[in-house]
Formats: sequence, C-alpha cells, structure tokens
Amino acid sequence: MIDQPVADLQLAEVERPSPRGRGKPRPYVSESWLRLRENRFGTAAGLLILALAVVAAAAPLLSGLVTHHDPTRQDLAAQFLPPGRAGYLLGADELGRDTLTRLIYGARVSLGIGFLTVAIMLTVGSLVGLSAGHYGGVVDGLLMRLVDVVLAFPAVFLYILMAMLFRPSVVTLSVIIASVAWANIARLVRGEVLTLANRDFMLATRSLGAGNARLMFRHLLPNALPVLIVAASLYVGQVILIEAALDFLGLGIQEPTASWGNMLSNSQVYFVHSAWLVVLPGLCIFVTVLATNIFGNAVRDAFDPRLRLK
Amino acid sequence: MSSAPLLEVRDLHTQFPTRDGVVNAVDGVSFQLQPHETLGIVGESGSGKSVTVLSVMRLLQPPGRITGGQVLYRGRDLTRISEPEMREIRGQEIAMIFQDPMTSLNPVYRAGWQVGEPLRLHRGLDLRRSLQEAVGMFRKVGIPEPEERVRAYPHELSGGMRQRAMIAMGLTTAPSVLIADEPTTALDVTIQAQILELLKHVRATFGTATVLITHNLGVVAGMCERVLVMYAGRVVEEGPTDEVFSSPKHPYTWSLLRSLPRLDSDERKPLRPIEGMPPDATSLPSGCAFHPRCPFAVDRCLSEAPALEPLGSGRLAACWVTQSGKDLNQAEETLG
Repeated sequence: MIDQPVADLQLAEVERPSPRGRGKPRPYVSESWLRLRENRFGTAAGLLILALAVVAAAAPLLSGLVTHHDPTRQDLAAQFLPPGRAGYLLGADELGRDTLTRLIYGARVSLGIGFLTVAIMLTVGSLVGLSAGHYGGVVDGLLMRLVDVVLAFPAVFLYILMAMLFRPSVVTLSVIIASVAWANIARLVRGEVLTLANRDFMLATRSLGAGNARLMFRHLLPNALPVLIVAASLYVGQVILIEAALDFLGLGIQEPTASWGNMLSNSQVYFVHSAWLVVLPGLCIFVTVLATNIFGNAVRDAFDPRLRLK
Repeated sequence: MSSAPLLEVRDLHTQFPTRDGVVNAVDGVSFQLQPHETLGIVGESGSGKSVTVLSVMRLLQPPGRITGGQVLYRGRDLTRISEPEMREIRGQEIAMIFQDPMTSLNPVYRAGWQVGEPLRLHRGLDLRRSLQEAVGMFRKVGIPEPEERVRAYPHELSGGMRQRAMIAMGLTTAPSVLIADEPTTALDVTIQAQILELLKHVRATFGTATVLITHNLGVVAGMCERVLVMYAGRVVEEGPTDEVFSSPKHPYTWSLLRSLPRLDSDERKPLRPIEGMPPDATSLPSGCAFHPRCPFAVDRCLSEAPALEPLGSGRLAACWVTQSGKDLNQAEETLG
C-alpha cells in the first residue's frame, strides 16, 4: 500500500452530479419513498391500511373499551337489531352478536391472513426465484417446471382438499393460499434476477471472489427488492379476496370465529330484511382490497424507474 | 525476460457452443506476464481478448467453457483448482476492472461499502475497518473528499470517479495481477487520460503486473511494454510495443497501424482502411483467418494456418509472409 496521496491526479474531477429534481440526489429507495409520499391518494390508502392493521391488533382492547361486546357472545334480545341503537352501533346479527365487534375481529383474520400469506409467498418465492435465476441450467429448469406445475394446479380444489385435511385457522389458511401463490413471486424474482445477472456489477462482484450465497442475498436480492415491495402490496388485496371467498364457501375460518367472509356467507339469507348484515362486511372487504390496490399501484409508480425522470 | 512468469497462459482454448456451431472464441492462446509488467492485448471486437481474460479468471458465462490448455498463476494451474480455491484467487491475487464504470458498481450500495468488500471477503475485516480502508484507498486513487465520497451511491459519482472507485476496489487487497478490460473505453477523452495516468501510477507504487485490454492502439503505445495482437481467437503477433509499432510483423497489425493517422507518419501517404469485415466466428476462413482481408496474402495462406513463430529479439508473428523474411513496410511499395 502506498501512503502519499496522488495530489497531481486530483484535478478537474471535483464536478458534482447534477441534482435531479429537488435538492440533493438521493438513493433509490429514499427517493422512491419521497415520490410515494407525494402521491396523496396512495398515501391515504396506505394510512387506511395502517389504521385497519392497528384496529385489528387492538381488537381485544377496542371490544373491551369501545364496543363493550364479545365477538361471540349471543344475545337473543338483540336479534337483527338495525345499526344506530345504543350499545349496538352497527346493529346485531341473527344471534344478537354485535356487528361492529365482529367486524373488528374480522379485520384480524383478513389482515392477518393477508400479511402472513404474503410473507410466506415472498420468502419461498424469493428463494426459489433467486436460486433458479442465479444457478440457471438444470436447477432453473427443475424449479421453473415445478412453478409451472403449481400454477397449473386448480387452486380451488386444492383449497377444498386442504380445508378438509386441516382445521382452518389463520396460520393454516395462510399456508394453504401461499402454497400456490408463491409460484407467482418465484417467476417474478427469477425474471428480475435474469436481467440483473447480466449486469456488469455481478461480474465485477464475482471477480472479487464473492460466493454464490453472497451474490444472491447481498447483491441480487436488494436489487430485486423494489419489485418485491410492489408485488407484496398488490398481493395483500388479492389474498384477502381469496380468503373471503374461502370463508364464504365455508372452507375458511369457521363460526363462531368472526371473519368478513363468513359474516357475509351467514347473512346472505337475511339480505332482504337486514341488508346491513351483508353490506357491512362486504364494504369492509371492498374498502380494504381497494386500499391495498391503490396503495400497491402508488408504490409501483414510485418505484418505476421509467417514471423517475419526469 | 524469462524469469519465472507471474501468470502464464499455455495453449488456452475456450469454446462457445451455439446453434450455428461451435465458436472457438479463444483458439490456442499462449502468453506470459512477468512481475511488474504491463502487457497490452489489442484486437477488434470479437477477437477473443475479453474471453481470454475471463477464461483466466474462470468467469465465463455458460455455455462458454475452457476446453484445453493451462493457466498457470505462480506455477499453479487455475483451470484445475476447485471453485472455492478459485474464489480465493479472485480479488485477492488477481483483480479485474471492467469497461463500463456506470454499471460495474452495485447501484444499491454506497461506494465505500463496495470498495471495502474485498477486504471483508478475503481479510476478514469488519464493516467499520473496511470502510476506514476504503477512505484510504479513495485518497490513493485521487478521489477528492474521500470521507464524503465513500458515503455516496454510485449514481452520485461521475464516470471517471466511478472508474477510480473500481480501481480502488480492485487494489484494496494489493493483488499481484490487475486485469483491466477496456478500462477507458466508456470514458471521455480527458477522463481517459486521467485514468491511464492513475493506472501508471498504480503500477509504479503497488508494483502490480497489469494486463490491459483495449482496441485503442494509442493507449497501448502509452502504457504497455509488450503487446499481444489478437485476431479471430488467436495471437497473431507479440513483441515489445515500440518494435511492433515501428515494424509490424503481421499484416493485421500493419493494417491496424496504417488505418490510423499518426504524427510521425508521411502525410502524403493516404490512410488505408482494412478491407472486408471481421470473420464470422462460426465459419472462419481456411488457412490463415486474416487472408481474405490481407493485402500481402500468398497462395499458402489460403490452405495452411501459420503458427506463432519467433522472429528474433522477442518478436513473434503468425504469418507466412513475414516468416519468409519479408518486411511489411517495404512490401507496401508493391501494393496498388
């Protein structure tokens, strides 16, 4: 190693890169974050999801302090009580259970399964996609044929079979849904890895003596992260819809545990005289999925490099 | 000149199987690199320069593979050692810098993190120590305000600065061999000159032997003691740079030099472009691969491929015409 600085070489190059847009140039992720916050619609949707998550997490607290009801406690005197009555803000169902309390607990199921499923999908899908894209050849061939098989599988039948084999709970349902859905993530990540694999920095990193694990997890994964974030935020909504559909078909969360899906399915017969029992859980699903879609799109726009220069 | 060479390539063959047939991207290349020496490898696109050094580093993209020959580093055959052993060589013994500094740094990490990476890989330094070393390296390669620049992301640095960072990254572990694959091609002319100065300085202070790949003859003239000229996967001429440039012994080298304007050339002589196109790698011409474009070709060139033969005073050439004793500069008078 040498010690004296190369003073004579430090000439013309003090030029600074021209800042793009406002102020200092920022790294990719924090610039994307800024762009996301500029999208008011997307931010509102994100905040709504966050609020729902807080409500779901604090469900026991809310039911104790605000609604004063247990989600499964029946009160035949309150049967089909319409919304707006004292003590039953959003009314009560056919067994006199408080709708608001049940909706709050339903959020736990929907959001819990939404986030847990996406977490499993991302983990498995990224691992498979990274390995397939990075190793290529036989590994790629085998893993991607597996993905093809999984995606060709009629998912509904798998859900029915699994629901018969395992008692549906938040965890088992998440695993069941993720067991099919990870294949989409694997494809996405593999595609991303293939475009990254030919970038010079991968060759440069190899030339430093980096091994496969380091190349995959320290260099490929962080570069694929924007795509993963976008996919995750869009898939949460999809998963919530799938879960609600399973509940509705009776293959998901079972009574008396409250979920938006099974509330919808229980109340469909009372639609004519107690429409709110159908409308309220349906509205919850609708608003939540819409919010995740809007938020997902906002995230995608914020991360899309093609929009960055505008 | 023949003490123990640091790096010796013997009869290297690298093939790429393609749908149109097997491409012999490197077809029997041999050369030696002495300690502290700078060797230039020149040739046009597709002549096999980059594939040669990628073969040395064992960084070929599949389906390309080494099909024969040896790569001896300090006497050890790199084509036979295991991949983990090879990883210890890469970045520690032999480092490489690439053509395009815009894309050779990982966009998601700060420059200092990346420059320190070889130290964490090979020397077991922790992050903090490696970042301190990175600051020192930035200073040594002439990056101003190194304490701040190590915290910059690649897109916040200019092209020249990124190439300096790449060089710093290659040199942190003080390797014995630095392979520079067209290190200045993607840079502005003024920045090119600065980077070449830096490479000279690096060689002088670190004592690193350098293999410089370029298609720019001017760069070779300014940097390299010896030069290797490649055409269609083979070495067609080798020798001390100034001698090769003043009296080329292969018509391809001669044509390259005659196609460029030079300050010391006779200005009344018109520049002479090289006729024809680079050969199709899947169906090389018979005999000497250069014969369809060669103004001096004789009948023998069509049927027999000349071997690289010594022509005295460290010069080698693979050409029937010069091996029979003709001088190309004099023979030019007889051309039309």
